[in-house]
Amino acid sequence: MKTLSLISTIIAGAFLIYGSMDMPHWGDPYSPASTHVSPYYLRNSLKDTATPNVVTSVLADYRGYDTLGETTVIFTAGMGCLLLLKKRRKK
Amino acid sequence: MFESLLHHYNYWMFIGLMMIGFYAMMAKKNLIKKIIGMNIFQSAIILFFISTSVKGGGVTVPILEHPEGAQGGFVDVMKYANPLPHVLMLTAIVVMVATLGVALAVVMMIYKRYHTLEEDEIALIRRKQGLKC
Repeated sequence: MKTLSLISTIIAGAFLIYGSMDMPHWGDPYSPASTHVSPYYLRNSLKDTATPNVVTSVLADYRGYDTLGETTVIFTAGMGCLLLLKKRRKK
Repeated sequence: MFESLLHHYNYWMFIGLMMIGFYAMMAKKNLIKKIIGMNIFQSAIILFFISTSVKGGGVTVPILEHPEGAQGGFVDVMKYANPLPHVLMLTAIVVMVATLGVALAVVMMIYKRYHTLEEDEIALIRRKQGLKC
């Protein structure tokens, strides 16, 4: 079992390193992640939301639905923990 | 080859970290060690995403300087790190904590029933009871 998991780990790591060859260079300011929509957030965050912290304005304003779903995740996890850990009545 | 190492070594570090977590999840018998492996895996993914938000040298955190002066003015995009991966990873950290909580609750219930956390011992107990494992 140990050798099998070691082999599959090495194969998965080799595939990931092969895939990382096509990634943009580290610190490239013109990488796809930093050119599409994030300049819009940086330029207009103060005008639209009056918040200097761009992370806050994206989290709570531009992508508020994402945060709403996040609270749903937290609620589901809390309910799951409560249901698992509550004292069971003896039958 | 050396060029590639220079430009992609951050991804390779995170792949190494991720594979450590992956191996711990598969090979370890103790359930708590499996959960620690899952956490290492998730931390590697978070570090990977944060590393994509870097824009060369001289960038700061995405908090605008002099908000009064920049009102209606021009914001230099190249001066601030990309805020989007930070936001997405904030969500991912919350999901990580939620999965950790549920996993620890499940492990606690397993310990209460079988009084062990080793996978093979649990399988042995279940086999003795005539259950599938």
